[in-house]
Amino acid sequence: MTAHPNLTLYHGEPNGPSFTVLAALFETDVDADLVHIDLTHADRHGPNCERSVAVDMSIEGEGPVLVADGEPMADSVFIACYLDAIGTGTRLRPADPYARWQMMMFCRQTIERVAPAAAFLGCKAHLAGKLHAMIPGIFDGLAARIHSEDLRARWHDVRDGIFPQGQVDDSVTKIVQAVERVEAQLADKDWLMGDYTIADLESYAWLAGMVELVPQAFVNKPGTSGWMERLRARPAVQRALSAATVPDPRQVWAPGPEINRWG
Amino acid sequence: MADVTLYHWEPNANSGKPMLALMEKGVAFNSHYLDLLNFDQHQPDYLKINPQGTIPAMTHGHLVLTESTAMMEYVDEAFDGPKLMPASPQDQWRIRWWMKFMDQWLGPSFSMFGWKFFVGPSARKRGEAELEAAINRIPLPERQVAWRKAIYGLFSDEEMAESGRRIGVGIKMLEAELSQRAWLASDQYSLADVNGFNLAYALPLSQPHLANDDLTPNIMRWLRAIYARPATKACWALGRTDMVKRVDILEQDYIPNKGAAA
Repeated sequence: MTAHPNLTLYHGEPNGPSFTVLAALFETDVDADLVHIDLTHADRHGPNCERSVAVDMSIEGEGPVLVADGEPMADSVFIACYLDAIGTGTRLRPADPYARWQMMMFCRQTIERVAPAAAFLGCKAHLAGKLHAMIPGIFDGLAARIHSEDLRARWHDVRDGIFPQGQVDDSVTKIVQAVERVEAQLADKDWLMGDYTIADLESYAWLAGMVELVPQAFVNKPGTSGWMERLRARPAVQRALSAATVPDPRQVWAPGPEINRWG
Repeated sequence: MADVTLYHWEPNANSGKPMLALMEKGVAFNSHYLDLLNFDQHQPDYLKINPQGTIPAMTHGHLVLTESTAMMEYVDEAFDGPKLMPASPQDQWRIRWWMKFMDQWLGPSFSMFGWKFFVGPSARKRGEAELEAAINRIPLPERQVAWRKAIYGLFSDEEMAESGRRIGVGIKMLEAELSQRAWLASDQYSLADVNGFNLAYALPLSQPHLANDDLTPNIMRWLRAIYARPATKACWALGRTDMVKRVDILEQDYIPNKGAAA
């Protein structure tokens, strides 16, 4: 028996941050009650989910929520670190402090550069139409529940179809660069940091849906394609992907982190 | 000769974080001061250490580390001395959540004010040709954009208003969190406090209408408790400009709410 608190995980489709946490949960062999919520319906901000300042103000945007001992926690990479610390299964962080620093640095680059770009392009392709088709009163009611003003503004932008070309181009560039970085890391190893870690989960989480939306980034990238296949073949990842309620969870996006305000 | 060298600017914001963490741990290090306003961080000698030209950077033997918050976690794990992370994984999660929130949401809003009213005007004392040459030496394109905005005062009213809003929201969040616990995000002094102090120590000076003993007594208690620590005193003694004097405001026992700032 694992000695950890009773856990409940509120998660969306296994894509983006919900993928990272579902896969980390199964890799680390931690028990949690799973509650599927519709992140594209702002469920995270209503009665279907538990809330806290950390959930309301998480700059990750629409990520999963893990409740431990009554405390709702957000931010997928840090939840994955938590699961790694309490779990008994696969270790998802290196033990060596420098290797751990390298892993956290890789994750931070993904969080800061890749996630905003991927969420922006994903919402443009797969959420804007759905929100635009919503009856105004219904959308406004959902949006009004969102506590963070800047996250709420991102929802309104998606509904209103505000996707400035400069940000589209910049986001595509960021995805292209991210795949180049992944490909370079994999030149001489099977996993991004050598060992299989949270960096693999978090990078896959944001890039998997980009194969459809930014196909040019993946042309001639055998290392990246092979890595995605290897990752998907892992039993814990299979289990995470089987939590999907739609044919292709890589097409399900909700507003993510903001694009850097400093340009 | 210590096998740790820290390349840093003033004890403030990102530079101050690993400086204070090293001092709390009692780790001896060579202090290599870089003058941010003289663009020392974009000179070839430093770019050999950190090709991205960001401050701070740390070397430990042959290892090179950048990014202040990740660097602090390394410092805590790699060296002996008091632990700056609690043992509880849930506390660790909370500390990381707050550090990310400060690094990526609240901190950039503070810096926008700092750059508009301090860094920009200081840099503009140089001639335009010298400034352009300095900007063109910056390795990261997004840092070029940021420096250009700062140097020429290009932050829009809308951007400044949004940063102002975030500062107001962030101060209320900090006060609420510190009303629940002695320290930020856990019950022991941790990296979150080291990080938070570097962000917030000058608040009662720069935002006296938002942070004072009447409105935010818990923030003030917390700042004074960190200021009183010997490591903090030793860290701030490494500053070379008038910037370090801002911390002196924490010697005042009572800072009243004087209403809107001038």
